[in-house]
Amino acid sequence: MPTPHQARHFLEIRKPVSRPQAILSAFGIWAVFFGIWSVAAHSGWVNALLVPPPDQVFATTWDLFASRGFASDVLISITRVLVSFAMACAVAIPLGVMMGTFPSVEAIFNPFVGAWRYLPAPSFIPILLMWFGTGEAPKLALLFIGVVFFLITLVMDHTKNVRKELIETALTLGASRQVTVMQVVFPAALPDIFTAMRQMLAMAWTYLVIAEIVASTTGIGAMMMRARRFLKTDEILSGIIVIGALGLFFDLAFGRLHRWLFPYRKETR
Amino acid sequence: MSEALLHLDAVSKVFPISGGESVQAVDHVTFDVEENRICVLLGPSGCGKSTILRMIAGLEAPSDGAVTLHGKPVIGPARDRGMVFQAYTSFDWLSVRRNVEFGMKVNGVPHAERRERAAHFIDLVGLTKFAEAYPSQLSGGMRQRVAIARTLANGPELLLMDEPFGALDAETRWHMQELMIDIARQENTTMVIVTHDIEEAIFLADKIIFLSSHPGRLKEVIVPEFKHGARIDDKEHIVQLPGYAELEQKIMRLMREEGSREEQ
Ligand SMILES: Nc1ncnc2c1ncn2[C@@H]1O[C@H](COP(=O)(O)OP(=O)(O)O)[C@@H](O)[C@H]1O
Ligand SMILES: [Mg+2]
Repeated sequence: MPTPHQARHFLEIRKPVSRPQAILSAFGIWAVFFGIWSVAAHSGWVNALLVPPPDQVFATTWDLFASRGFASDVLISITRVLVSFAMACAVAIPLGVMMGTFPSVEAIFNPFVGAWRYLPAPSFIPILLMWFGTGEAPKLALLFIGVVFFLITLVMDHTKNVRKELIETALTLGASRQVTVMQVVFPAALPDIFTAMRQMLAMAWTYLVIAEIVASTTGIGAMMMRARRFLKTDEILSGIIVIGALGLFFDLAFGRLHRWLFPYRKETR
Repeated sequence: MSEALLHLDAVSKVFPISGGESVQAVDHVTFDVEENRICVLLGPSGCGKSTILRMIAGLEAPSDGAVTLHGKPVIGPARDRGMVFQAYTSFDWLSVRRNVEFGMKVNGVPHAERRERAAHFIDLVGLTKFAEAYPSQLSGGMRQRVAIARTLANGPELLLMDEPFGALDAETRWHMQELMIDIARQENTTMVIVTHDIEEAIFLADKIIFLSSHPGRLKEVIVPEFKHGARIDDKEHIVQLPGYAELEQKIMRLMREEGSREEQ
């Protein structure tokens, strides 16, 4: 019970909010957003053709899934993200760990990887289309290029953050260099590597949408571009909602997985 | 007199630093460590204690001179010289038991023997109840005990410790020091312990190697004669023994000389 002299202000400096207040606040802001949108669209402040009301957008979303085969587009998009992301991880994690462990390996690859990071991945779209045609390959390649160089650098940095004493402990216990890397450096860096993967997966979604809008006939982005041609703003907005929901879902799933895989990390926080 | 297990022969270490200059951290240090004895490296901060210990561990190569174990030169880290650091080194992703088994596992000790030895050393450091806990659930002192058990379970000939209790609060440190005396008695372990704490040095040492700073030179080898070769496992008791106060004063004087020398 708060006593009078410690009555809470709404604006308390860095005092955590209670769970009910957090939930109320989160719902509140979204309610305001949809409220304004709804009122604006229904009352005719804005052109309902360009801004259809939210209830129509949700109805369209339902209809897209229920009777117009949108699920297959969504599935294609998810597959593209996961396949290209898995390829990026398969390259970035071993290479990043090696670079973060052995300065000699870093000396070779860092000047190369560092430069590629400054090239915006979408600038490769024209050449990727020429090389790979219009199949899945150019999309996967774009996502791969967009993610892999950042991921390598992040994995390298997290590997470098593994404390020297941990490595030296392993060596003085008689572990070989290989065992030290595999059984000490890698597991020590893994929780942070996992967090980097979570961040980069969000980036993969960004490149997916670019790839599908620019050069695809399938997937969520392609559906949105088709809808544009027929002035179906409700379908475009449905696409945006689905992309947002998928991004949120994968982020939450990664968060869950992190807590499940690395329970010891929670207790030190 | 027991035979020397470890011998340092005119060991020096020069570190290159930026701008093509170099700093001499250790200058021609010679001493022996006998089997089953506790040798303490004592001296003011920055006098090269850690550097000497790291050269014994093989983590750093001497610029000059040689470190020999059983007469064989030390090259690189190996299982015969286990090291405990001041910073926590628990492998957070492994339980206490698996931490303690780690060295034996990488050295191919069979599963059953590994289990048995791990249980023995976990018991020795009083953590049997926490064998399946994870290090992040333990206090600082308990984590340091895991590190000690992990090193001892690996069966090193020499236990090296670099200010192992420096990060612990006074009471925990005291318990840990008494624990080390117990371990030395039960396991016949040879130890080289680095500290800058005079009380800790006198309590633990069979022999104190006192170093002067900049560059690190051997100033004096001090044997706490007042213990008459016995190990006293009670800190309260030892400070009351005749001879303790004199030795403490003598070492404090040495420390102060070093301090004033540095200011010149
Ligand atoms: N890797 C290193 N590179 C350069 N100088 C070092 C390095 N390690 C230690 N030194 C220097 O050597 C001296 C002794 O250091 P150290 O052995 O850590 O002392 P102590 O453990 O007695 O406090 C210090 O002057 C320190 O700055
Ligand atoms: Mg030191």
